[in-house]
Amino acid sequence: MLPRLKRFADVLTGEKKEGKALLRRALFHMLNEHHRYQRGTSFDRWAFAEIYALWLGGLRDHPEPLSQAKASEETFELLFHKGGEEKFDALTANFLGQLPPQQRSTLLLVYGEGFDYEDAARVLDSNAGTIEARLIRASASLADRLSAGSRASTEDSAVIETLYAMRPQDDDHDRAQ
Amino acid sequence: MTELSDELLVAYVDGQLAREQTRAIDKVLEQDEVVARRLDALKEAHGRLEAAFEAILAGEMVEVLVSPTLPPPVKRKRRISLPWIGLAVVGIGIALAALVGGYGWSNVAGVLKACGL
Repeated sequence: MLPRLKRFADVLTGEKKEGKALLRRALFHMLNEHHRYQRGTSFDRWAFAEIYALWLGGLRDHPEPLSQAKASEETFELLFHKGGEEKFDALTANFLGQLPPQQRSTLLLVYGEGFDYEDAARVLDSNAGTIEARLIRASASLADRLSAGSRASTEDSAVIETLYAMRPQDDDHDRAQ
Repeated sequence: MTELSDELLVAYVDGQLAREQTRAIDKVLEQDEVVARRLDALKEAHGRLEAAFEAILAGEMVEVLVSPTLPPPVKRKRRISLPWIGLAVVGIGIALAALVGGYGWSNVAGVLKACGL
């Protein structure tokens, strides 16, 4: 459980040192506020939500929130374990490092933790539509990098089917964060 | 040629579509190479993201094992040690034997005192 919470804090802040400090603050906060925990709530979802709320609160209080939210490429790469059998994927690491923290954490909750859109939305104080929009944007963007030029080759295609219409309010909500 | 939106394809990769929608996309994929290539790219993106988060978790596992975030729990000092309990049991036994043997309460009290009880 602790490594999963630490991963969330690290991905959110974009670096290990800040992530560790955030997790430590969140754990003490949770201990002090344990009476707020509601029975029936999944503990990990509650813990993730507490970490996120604390991070967001700190960001709002910061004089330069945009600079604080940005992860540097070097520090972000340090989050990845490079001693294992799997080869380090620099392209994906670089891609994740450039994303806004909310988008990174959305990807983590859905693709890393296996949360459904509703649970991810609860953790990130958002809605399922915004979660879906973030996933589509990020997945499409990474796919574009992987197959550079494939999008251009489909531009001539005729659109015959779209089951999901884009929701402008999702975009607005995302940008506002 | 057919184009399916990224929204639909991402939902397909994520397993978020109804069975009928999934079947409809399967049919398109059999006939359209461009859509199939796009789907492959999205699948690869999905796989790479999952692997990236696994790699981060692997790093966290190593780190948490080496240096825990929270301080270790404080060990409580044992107030009553085993030798003391042994001595007490022996003392009580002697006292009871003395009492049964008719040595009188004053002698029993003396034995207990000698055992530090």
